[in-house]
Amino acid sequence: MTRTVLALAIFFLSLCGCTTEEPVPPEVKLAETQEFNLWRAGAPLYLQESFSRYRDELDKAKNGLVQVNSRFSWFRDYQPVQAEFAKVLKQGDELFRLLEIEKQNKALSVREQMTDLRERLQHLDQCSRMTNENRACRSSLTKAEVILNEARILYGGQQYQASEEKLKDVETHLATAERFITPVLSRYGDKSQIRKWKKWAEETIDESADREIHSVVVVKADRKLYLYKDGDLIKTYPVGLGRSGWSDKQRARDNATPEGRYRIIGKNSRTPYHRALLINYPNEDDREEFHRAKQKGLLPRTAGIGGSIEIHGGGNKGMTYGCISLANNHIEELYTFLTVGTPIAIVGALDRQNKLSSALTEIQNGRRKKKTP
Amino acid sequence: MTLKEDETMKRVRWIVLGLVVMAFVVGCASKPEKEINDAKAAMDAVIKEGLAKFAPEDEKKLKDAMGAVDAELKVQEGKTFKSFDKTKQLLADLSKMAADMKAALPAKKEKAKADATAALEAAKAALGEAKKMLAKAPKGKGTAADIEALRGDVKGAEDMLPEVQGMIEKEDYSAAMTKANAIKDKAAGVGDQVMKALEKVKAPAKK
Repeated sequence: MTRTVLALAIFFLSLCGCTTEEPVPPEVKLAETQEFNLWRAGAPLYLQESFSRYRDELDKAKNGLVQVNSRFSWFRDYQPVQAEFAKVLKQGDELFRLLEIEKQNKALSVREQMTDLRERLQHLDQCSRMTNENRACRSSLTKAEVILNEARILYGGQQYQASEEKLKDVETHLATAERFITPVLSRYGDKSQIRKWKKWAEETIDESADREIHSVVVVKADRKLYLYKDGDLIKTYPVGLGRSGWSDKQRARDNATPEGRYRIIGKNSRTPYHRALLINYPNEDDREEFHRAKQKGLLPRTAGIGGSIEIHGGGNKGMTYGCISLANNHIEELYTFLTVGTPIAIVGALDRQNKLSSALTEIQNGRRKKKTP
Repeated sequence: MTLKEDETMKRVRWIVLGLVVMAFVVGCASKPEKEINDAKAAMDAVIKEGLAKFAPEDEKKLKDAMGAVDAELKVQEGKTFKSFDKTKQLLADLSKMAADMKAALPAKKEKAKADATAALEAAKAALGEAKKMLAKAPKGKGTAADIEALRGDVKGAEDMLPEVQGMIEKEDYSAAMTKANAIKDKAAGVGDQVMKALEKVKAPAKK
């Protein structure tokens, strides 16, 4: 009887002993540490799916451990659980390897994207300065540059994903800047436009030859004024244009320099710009164009056509309101050569190979590069 | 029944009674609901304070600790003779961890805010410096277009300062600091370009 009671007591005590802590396999703690380190290294960001699968496996192993720990200590067998955790650890090690590769690839890709965008930004910056497109365009370029700086800072902190996200915004601002610049440049690569400009220049030079007089051709792309006598080029002068000089003048206060065939209609030696030669802008063609644009709603109803376009002194480096400016000694020379009635052609370019069309091609190449992964 | 048998029976009764009491005590251990709720409340409180933003690793540690509590609860719930001593210990550790993190959080926030504010001030100062240089820059030959472009750039960068301020107000200090530093870099770039423009003008004079 006593033996039975003692056996019963031992049985009960052993049952109670089930609640005591059993040594769990070391792989459990290792796996938990590994999961934390993977998380810290950015596995959820760079290997979202693989990390999720790894977590599922870890959870499965943990559930197995819970089941084993719930059993009476007599029936506990940690071997299968240990094997499960070992499998998870192996999977985790592989994830670390993949993570390193993925991060290196991402770093490389982000660095390349940053380099491309920096090049595009620099080129657009040059184009913007070249075309004096200094308002909305430059605002977009400034935003792009600041965000590109942010991306660089994040890249330095190895936050490649965040850096890449920023680059998308850079791309948007560069595209906006391109939208402002492209219309200015595209005319300089347009075949029919160049043909028209060439025709004006040739007619002006021919008139000089036919009537044995001086004539002037201003080529905006070259920023040069070519002086002809009897159809021959006798002198070339560097010129400054309007603030929006690369564009054709459409209305008053647009700061653009007009394009077309004109004549000198007045000479002024008492001007703040040393000497001035007034041209007959707007001519008939300009008036027709202006009215057409107004009818189409391309210009505000209150807009005026403008006028008082001159070839004057004051220096060729600054920006004018639409006039053509020269160094004082150069206008002095011209002033003596040219008389009222001298034919003048103001054109964008005489060749498709000019610096503005090249700039446009580079912008288009930059866009193409972006599209090609 | 002999005297000896009687003694034995008495012992048996005491042993059985002892075992019954032991089984009652062990088997009836209940889930520590109060401790669980307290720990969860402590955890939620510190997470609500923005733990994920200012100390993401701490948040992860806290969640992992809660995961360990859940696992231990499952273990005990699967047992016939439950003991929640370990669970209680884990919950107490978790509550303490959460309380410690909550206590440390304001200092972390303050530091992040101070860093972001200092970066914003540095960006403003750099822009101010760039503006001073632009004001001094010669507006004559060869520089007018550049100076005007740079002036536009400074204005564009200045327009981005309210964004930084907005980020600070939303406690997004890390993003605010990054943007402020990026603006400062841009301002420094403008300063460099003004210097180059000045050198371009000065160069011929030296000849």
